Amino acid sequence: MRQVREQKEDLLQRLPRLQLALFGFLLLIAARFWFVQVVSGDYYLELAENNRVRELRLKAARGLIYERQGRLVAENVPSYNLLLDPSRSQDLEKALTFAERSLNQPAIELREALDEGGGAGSFRPILIAEALSLSEVAAIEALSLEFPEFAIEVGHLRLYRNGPITAHTLGYLGEVNPRDLASRESPFKPGDLIGRKGVELAFDDTLRGVDGQRAVIVDSRGRFKEEYGRDPAKSGNNLNLGLDLDLQQEATRYFEGRAGAVVALDPATGEIRAMVSAPSYNPNIFSRRLDRDAWRNLIEAPEDPLQNRVIQNTYSPGSVFKIVMAAAGLSEGVIDEEETVWCGGSTRIYNRRWRCWKRGGHGHVALHRAIKESCDVYFYHLGKKLGIERIAKYSRQLGLGRPTGIDLLGEREGLVPDPDWSARRRGTPWYPGETISVAIGQGPILVTPLQIATLMAAVATNGYQARPHVAESSSVEKEQLAVEPWVFERIGAALWSVVNDQRGTGSAARVPGIEVAGKTGTVQVVAQETWIKSEDLPYEQRDHGWFASYATAGDKQLVVVVLVEHGGHGSTAAAPLAKRLYEIYFRDYLDNGQSS
Amino acid sequence: MRSTSGTISTTASLPDERPFLRQLATVRWALLISALLISLIGLITVHSASSELSIDYLPRQALWLGLGLLVFVVAFSLDYQSLTKFSLPIYTVAMVMLLLVLLVGKEAGGARSWLGVGAYRLQPSEFAKIATALLLARYLAGINRRFLSFGQIMAASSIVALPMVLVALESDLGGAAMFVPMLAGMLVVAGVPWRYFAVGAGVALVLAAVGWNLVMLDYQKDRVRSFMSPGSDPQGTGYQLRQSKIAVGSGQLTGRGYQQGTQSQLRFLPARHTDFIFAVLAEEWGFIGVAMVLILYGLYIGNGTKVALRARDRSGILLIVGLLSGFAFHVLYNTAMVVGLVPITGIPLPFLSYGGSFTLANFIATGLILGVDFRRHVNR
Repeated sequence: MRQVREQKEDLLQRLPRLQLALFGFLLLIAARFWFVQVVSGDYYLELAENNRVRELRLKAARGLIYERQGRLVAENVPSYNLLLDPSRSQDLEKALTFAERSLNQPAIELREALDEGGGAGSFRPILIAEALSLSEVAAIEALSLEFPEFAIEVGHLRLYRNGPITAHTLGYLGEVNPRDLASRESPFKPGDLIGRKGVELAFDDTLRGVDGQRAVIVDSRGRFKEEYGRDPAKSGNNLNLGLDLDLQQEATRYFEGRAGAVVALDPATGEIRAMVSAPSYNPNIFSRRLDRDAWRNLIEAPEDPLQNRVIQNTYSPGSVFKIVMAAAGLSEGVIDEEETVWCGGSTRIYNRRWRCWKRGGHGHVALHRAIKESCDVYFYHLGKKLGIERIAKYSRQLGLGRPTGIDLLGEREGLVPDPDWSARRRGTPWYPGETISVAIGQGPILVTPLQIATLMAAVATNGYQARPHVAESSSVEKEQLAVEPWVFERIGAALWSVVNDQRGTGSAARVPGIEVAGKTGTVQVVAQETWIKSEDLPYEQRDHGWFASYATAGDKQLVVVVLVEHGGHGSTAAAPLAKRLYEIYFRDYLDNGQSS
Repeated sequence: MRSTSGTISTTASLPDERPFLRQLATVRWALLISALLISLIGLITVHSASSELSIDYLPRQALWLGLGLLVFVVAFSLDYQSLTKFSLPIYTVAMVMLLLVLLVGKEAGGARSWLGVGAYRLQPSEFAKIATALLLARYLAGINRRFLSFGQIMAASSIVALPMVLVALESDLGGAAMFVPMLAGMLVVAGVPWRYFAVGAGVALVLAAVGWNLVMLDYQKDRVRSFMSPGSDPQGTGYQLRQSKIAVGSGQLTGRGYQQGTQSQLRFLPARHTDFIFAVLAEEWGFIGVAMVLILYGLYIGNGTKVALRARDRSGILLIVGLLSGFAFHVLYNTAMVVGLVPITGIPLPFLSYGGSFTLANFIATGLILGVDFRRHVNR
C-alpha cells in the first residue's frame, strides 16, 4: 500500500504551527477591536454623533427700531449666507473651486474667510460668504448632494433705510472681536454681530435676541432625516425712539456740504427729537463683511464722519455762554437789570483792551439789550464782577462740564475751567484775563452741542433739566436746578427778543405764529486781533456759528441747537436751520393756527 | 494523532456493511455549524445594512445560502481523491473560464451571466481558487520529501501565477492577491526551507516596488497612500477608512442595537453589505458581537485544522490547508481592514458579506473539507 506508507508526519508537525499563527493573528485583531471599541469607544461614539447630528443655530432677529411716528429706521432683511463644514468634505479643494465658480466673489476672500473661521481642520461650519444672490443660492443648492459640506443659512442683514440720515444716532453693528468673546459673559460666537455705536451699542442687550438651536439628524450627504431637538430663537425687543425722521431729513439736507451738529429735544421730557452730525456715513456698509478700503476711507477722512459731533465733539460756546453769565449775575445779585454799561466798541480791563464784536459799540446797554444784541463789553464787566469761581459754579449748575447722562455711550463732558483746574491740569495759575475771555464763551471753556441743548431746556422750562434720551421712555428723570425760575424768565424774555426784536441777532429763526427764543454765537477758531470778516478767511480758520434756541407752541416746546463748523456767524449760518425745524415740528399747530 | 494512522488498517478491515450513517456521524459537523451560524448572522446583518440601499439583500443572500447548502452537499459527496486525480482538467477549465471573463467581460458589464444562474453573475475567480488548490494539493502530495526543492517551489508557484495574472488583468488585485496566502499556507505545510522565506520576502519587496510603479492603478495607489496617512484625502479612501473606524468604535462594548447604527443607517459607511459588513456588525452589536463572530471563525479554522490532522493522506491534508489558508486570510484581512489596520481592498468576509460566487465558493470549500473527513477511513 503505497499511500499508507507515504510520508505525512512532517505535514502533521507543521500544521499546528500554521494554526497557531492564524489564531495569533485572530487574537491580535480581536485585541485591536477591544482597543477601538471598548478603550476608545467614547471617542468614536462622539465622532459618530458629530457625523450624524448637525446643530444649526437659529439666529435671533435683532429688534426693530422705530422713530417717533412709528416709521421703521432699522430693520432686518433676509440674507443668504454660505457655510462650509470642512469636516464633511471629502475633497476640500474641489469644494472651494466649486464655490468660487458659483459665486461672484474673489476666490481669495472665500479662503480668507475659511482660514479665519478655523481652517480646514474645523469641525464647525464656517461662514465663508454673505449676502448671496438668489441665483448664487440656486447654483449651490443644485449641487447640494455632490457637496454636502455646504449649507445655505438664512440670516438677517441689518438695514438702515435712511442710511446717513440716522447714522450717528442709530450707530451700526460689527462682528464681535476676540476681546468681546473673552470678556463678555453673554454667549457670543465668532461671527456674531453686536452693536458698535449709537443706539445699536447702547441698547444692544435690548435689541439682541437670544439665538436658538436646532439639532437635526442628517445622513452622510447632509440630507435632512429628522429633527432631533429645537430651542427656538427669541427675537430681540423692538425699540421706539423719540427721534423725528422729518427733522433728521431736513437737518441732513441743510448740512450737505457742511460740517456741524444739530440736536433737538423736548425740554419737558429730555426726549431727543433730532440728532444729526455732519458729515455722515452710510451705516449699511457695516452690515456686511467690511470692505477694507471703505473702512480706511472712513477712518482717515479729515472731517471725521464717524464722530457724533452732538455728544463727542466739544466747542467753545461763544456768545451762547452769555446765558450762563446772565443766570449767574442775576442769581448772585451782581446785576441790576436797569443798570447800564457803556460799550464803545471796546473796553479796558486788566490793562488790556477787550473788543466788542460791534466795532461802533452798543452805547449804554442793560442786561436785556446786552443779551439781545450780544454786547461783549457788558459781559466783560460782568465776568470781572463775578470772578471765575462763580462763573464755574453756575456753569456746572446749568449742566456744563459734566455728562448730560444721555442714553448713548461715548459722551464727552466738556470743560468748565477754574483756577483749580488750571493748577492741576496746566500747572499754571489762572490769569484774571482768562476770566474776561470765558465771560463771552471763549478761552478754555468747552461744551458739547447736547450740553447747550440741556442749557436751553432749563431756560425753556424755567429751571428744569430732564436727562436727555433717544429711546422712548415712560419715566422722565427731571432735575430742578438751583437757579431760581425768575432768573430764567428774565433770560427767556431777552432770548425772545434776540429772535423777534428788530435788532436781535437771531431774527433768521423767527417763525410767525410760534414763540421762538434763542441766542447766536460765533466762535473764533483763530484769535483775531482786528475785526476781520470771517468769510474772508480760509475755511479752516473761519468761525464756528452757534444758534441755541427753543420754541413754544401752545403746550409744546422744542429745543434746537445748531452748530455749523467754520460756517461764520451763527445768525446767518445756524439760525435758518432752526427756523426750518420749528416749522416742520410745529406744522400741525401752525396749520391749525392759520385755519382758525 | 499518529495513533489514528495505525487504526486505519483495522477500521478498513471492518465488514463491508459498516453503516454509512455511523460514518456520517463521525464527521466534524462543527465546521459546518460554525459556517451556518456565521451565515445566519450574515443574513441578519445584510438586512440591516440594506435598509438604506435600493433593495433588501436579505432574500438574495438567503437564496445564495440555500444554493450554498446545495453545492456543499455536492462537494461533500464528491471523492476528493478523484478530484485531485482530475485536477489538471479542472484547473484547465477554470483557466479557460478566467480567460473568457477577460475577453467577454470586456464587451459588456453583465457578460459574466453566461454562466447562467438566473440574473446573477458568477465570478469564476472564486472557483478558480478551488481548482488551483486541487492542482496544488495533487502536485505537492506527490512530492514525498521532508522539504521541497527550489524547483518544486517554483513549479508550485507557477501553478498559482497563471490564475493570479488572469485575475489581476481583470483589475481585481484583491482577488489576485488571495491566491498568495493559499500558496503560502500549502508551501509552509509541505515544507519550505527557512532560507527560501528570506529570499521570498526579498522578492516580494522587489515585486511590490515594481508593482507600485508599473502595475498599480492610481486609485489603488491612493488607497495605500491614504492608509499610510489618513489626513491626506485625495479620493475619499481616507474618508472610508475613517467612517469605518468610527462605526466600529461607536459600537463600544455592547453595540448600538440592531438597525440602530447611525454610521451604517445614515450611509456614512461605504460598501456596507459587502466589504464593510463587519463594521456594521461591530457598530450594532459591539465588541461582544465582534468577539462572537471571531470565535466562530476561530472554530471554523480550528475544526478545519482538526480534520486536516486526521486526514487520510497528503493530498487531503494539503487541500484542506490550501482552502483554510485562503479562508483565514479573507477573515484576517477583512476584519483588520475594517478596524483600520490595513489598506482598503475589495476583500469580502466569508459567510458574512453579501455575494453569490463567494458564498458558493466557501460552501464548496466547506464541503470539500468535510468530504475529506468523511473519507478518512476509506482504503483503496
